Amino acid sequence: MNKPWYQRLDYIVIFAWASLVALGLTAIYSSTHGPASIYLLDTVQQNFTRQLQWVVLSVIAICVLLAIPSRVYQSGAYAAYGISLLMLIGALMFGREINGAKSWLPIGPFSLQVSEVAKVGTVLALAQLYTQQRNETNKLKSALIAAGLTLVPAALIVLQNDTGTALVFLALLPVILFWSGIPLPTVGLIVSPAVAGYLAIVYWPAAIVYTVLVAGLLGWAARSKIMGLLGLGLNGATVAVAVVALTKILQPHQAARIASFVDPEKYRLTSGFHIIQSRAAIGSGGLTGKGFMNGTQTQMAFVPEQSTDFIFSVIGEEFGFIGSISVLILFAFLIIRLISDGVSTRHPFPSMFAAGVTGIFFAHVLINIGMATGVMPVIGIPLPFMSYGGSALLANSLLIGVALNLHMRRDEFPRYG
Amino acid sequence: MDEARSRLFIFSLLVATVIGLLGARLVVLQLIETDEYAEESEKNSVQPRRMLPARGLVYDRNGALMVSNEQTYSVTLTPRFFDMDKLPMLAELLDLPDSTVVAKIKDARAWSAYKPSTIFSDIPFETFSHLQESQFRLPGVNFVVDEKRSYHSAARAAHALGYIGEISSRQLDTRREAGYRMGDKIGKTGIEAVYEPHLRGDAGQRFMLVNVHGQEVKSWREGTQDVPPKSGYDLVLGIDAQLQAVAESLFVNKRGGAVAMDPNTGEILALVSAPDYNPALLAGTIDDRVWSGMNQDENKPLYNRATLSMQPPGSTWKPFMSLVGLQEGVISPETRIHCSGGFHFGRYYKCMGAHGSLTVADAIKKSCNTFYYTIMSRMKLDRWADWARAFGFGKDVPTDIPEQSRGLIPDSTYFNRIIGEGRWNLSSIAKPILGIGQGNMGVTPLQLARYVSAVANGGTLHAPHLIREMVDPETGERYTPELPASVQIPVDDVYWPVVQEGMRRMAMENNASARWDDVVVAGKTGTAQNPHGEDHAWFVSYAPFDDPQIVVAVFVENGGYGSSVAAPIGGLMLEQYIDGTTDKHPAFVRRRAMTNGSEGLNPEDWDRWHPPTADEIFGPRESLRKSIAEAGEDETPVVQTSGQ
Repeated sequence: MNKPWYQRLDYIVIFAWASLVALGLTAIYSSTHGPASIYLLDTVQQNFTRQLQWVVLSVIAICVLLAIPSRVYQSGAYAAYGISLLMLIGALMFGREINGAKSWLPIGPFSLQVSEVAKVGTVLALAQLYTQQRNETNKLKSALIAAGLTLVPAALIVLQNDTGTALVFLALLPVILFWSGIPLPTVGLIVSPAVAGYLAIVYWPAAIVYTVLVAGLLGWAARSKIMGLLGLGLNGATVAVAVVALTKILQPHQAARIASFVDPEKYRLTSGFHIIQSRAAIGSGGLTGKGFMNGTQTQMAFVPEQSTDFIFSVIGEEFGFIGSISVLILFAFLIIRLISDGVSTRHPFPSMFAAGVTGIFFAHVLINIGMATGVMPVIGIPLPFMSYGGSALLANSLLIGVALNLHMRRDEFPRYG
Repeated sequence: MDEARSRLFIFSLLVATVIGLLGARLVVLQLIETDEYAEESEKNSVQPRRMLPARGLVYDRNGALMVSNEQTYSVTLTPRFFDMDKLPMLAELLDLPDSTVVAKIKDARAWSAYKPSTIFSDIPFETFSHLQESQFRLPGVNFVVDEKRSYHSAARAAHALGYIGEISSRQLDTRREAGYRMGDKIGKTGIEAVYEPHLRGDAGQRFMLVNVHGQEVKSWREGTQDVPPKSGYDLVLGIDAQLQAVAESLFVNKRGGAVAMDPNTGEILALVSAPDYNPALLAGTIDDRVWSGMNQDENKPLYNRATLSMQPPGSTWKPFMSLVGLQEGVISPETRIHCSGGFHFGRYYKCMGAHGSLTVADAIKKSCNTFYYTIMSRMKLDRWADWARAFGFGKDVPTDIPEQSRGLIPDSTYFNRIIGEGRWNLSSIAKPILGIGQGNMGVTPLQLARYVSAVANGGTLHAPHLIREMVDPETGERYTPELPASVQIPVDDVYWPVVQEGMRRMAMENNASARWDDVVVAGKTGTAQNPHGEDHAWFVSYAPFDDPQIVVAVFVENGGYGSSVAAPIGGLMLEQYIDGTTDKHPAFVRRRAMTNGSEGLNPEDWDRWHPPTADEIFGPRESLRKSIAEAGEDETPVVQTSGQ
């Protein structure tokens, strides 16, 4: 309590946030102000100025969040969650549809993508839930409630036809469970099928080898044959479902959309186009890149959605390996720093909140950059702080703001051993 | 390490691992396989575009510009990238009804959705510039700036110049190596075809950055990799545009052809075929109605009568017969043959009169048939045919005019083939009339001009040619193209003056149409009998007699008498070339040149595919008309015509 508030701020987080936002603005500017930009839609041409307005708004929001006492977040967590649900339902009923997703609510001159903003309420609610249940011995009960809290908004977002964002909500679960004190093998059991499913799409024999290895590892770690069998069953079932779904259940075009990243050339003019163009953009950047405003893929608009979901291809092409690896390092820094800030408070609310925030950022980074580099299916979710999109920038900045607040005011929390 | 710390460690390790894997992926993409992706991205956006060179210009022998290039603008559309919501805007800019544009887009889509199709060609510059200003709002819409020929002199010289058109798929098969692509223009006839490789030049290449819609955005690497095109050679022709224009004007409403040649070099000074056409009609996009009109016209404006039309030469054949008779020893310069009005050879062959006792020079002047029936009857048919070929008849003329007839010189092989061996004899084939250029034979105006050139220059058969030299437009260097060798006709030097004298007397004493002032002219008229209709009129001539500068061969299809129809045209051509005017001939000659032989054609008929009247097109004809009006009343010809 001795240090003034500004000395208790985590400037590394602020630096990482500011750097990523600045890089994002640079890339948005490059992709919308080149010589070919006159051929872009008028609305796209304005992306840079509008994003700049959202950045200003986000800075104000972070400052406001820092000024609020931290216990307000705890006491208002469920209210925020409730408002989030109401907004999601409102969007479903009265919302505007943009790019096929009915998740936008008009607020004044802006349109707010409520599925993004709902993350804040959900993470707050989950953190509060675990704070209240910290002495609950029935970990399974807590886990089920946490799952419920996450799945309700996720389901609403699926109904809004925004599967990508809903997927990020699901990514909250294992991270929260991991931090809730559930035994590690159980967490491993829950997480491992995701990798099994991925491998099943890429190369199914590898998925089978993986299943066997994971089952053995789980059984050994938990000193329990049942755990091993569960691991074998769960992973095996995931692989089987994935393979059958791809070959038998899904329509060929649906299967192609998922599998096209494995062999994009086969779907060159359809679902593989994004991947081929983004990969070519990033790959052709080489070590140092083609230079700001000089990337042909970017300037000639070959990568679709390059100021939004494929913003990473702009960095990769124009700033090369140096630029793109810097983005990765900044994200790694931000995520690890946020979680260690949370853990260092030794109080469940800040640490669970940090767990949720890092889970969300981590999922976004993995899926988005994985998609841009051609190792993940094309799932339309933005790269935090960088992609054009005001709601996502604001929502992610709100998460940062709350996390900074909780860390800055860590001494207000009672410490638990 | 407590529980929280160890979980923090595991989580951080997981984050670092996953981000490390993504980093490894970046290493693969950006450091290891970067060349592959660099190539892929380059292929995407860097597109080589051919830059077509400027086609060579064409000048006449005096440096007057005849043919140059002007730009044309076409609109292309790539259906895949075109937004149909923009249709009203495009139609408005083109100033066309929506339905017309829709129909064009449908056609384009039927051909290819992803490739640009030309939807409107040859649009006005105004329209082009309006469209270009709005191009960024019209994805999928692009332009092709092309060139078409434009013509400048009063002379059309349509058959000499020829025209260019889109390359045919058959031509493309053999010319792809030479850099031709579908849709390229290529010379189809005339010098445009013959000198295609020189006129065309070498295509260049520029590299453009195109966006995902195929729209060109800017040049790649500031154009440093571009290769500029090399313009084609300019051609200087032997044609005298003024002479050509006058000659064309004299053929208005006639069918026929004329060739004027420099007897010292073989350079063609004028090449006329009538009716002709305005070559500008075949430049750029050709109107279907114009094209089918030209092809269906019964007077065949596309047909080059100067080199393709073959008819018996009539009495223009007599100088040849004289030379051959002298060389073969059938006659000597002093030999006299008596004409009593005809000749017996199986049957009776009539002359145009009873000319009495004639030397060869007299016979040429008076165009006595009996004299030549006699020579012909004293020669073997095949020997005569060999001599005709030695004078360039009955075979291809070495020339740079791409289309020509070989003509027909009959010999025993020919008669055996068409009648049957043993089923003909010399009287059944009416051998004597071959001696007066009638019957079963045919020559072209070009062949006649070439032979008369040899008469004028004392026996050298030159290769008639349109080209004089080629000029490199960048360096100004001049090249004279290699020409086929000239041939000496094996007739002794002493005999040429005999025949020249006969032709001089013909033109100076017998026929008044060719000569003017004190210029000495040599010539010979001819009338080819035509069993199917009106006779064909011929006239061959050269001047000045002592130092021949020009030879003309004039042919008027169904024109009637050579003396009254063809000779006036030839005379005016000589004067135009030598004195640069046509004012010195008597008015009756100018009137005859313009009106005689022109009855057979209905001007409405052959003008229907080009609206302007002949007078509007032919300035020279107007000045001729004026000079006749100024000359006042009709003058009676001094010497009545009597030659055939």
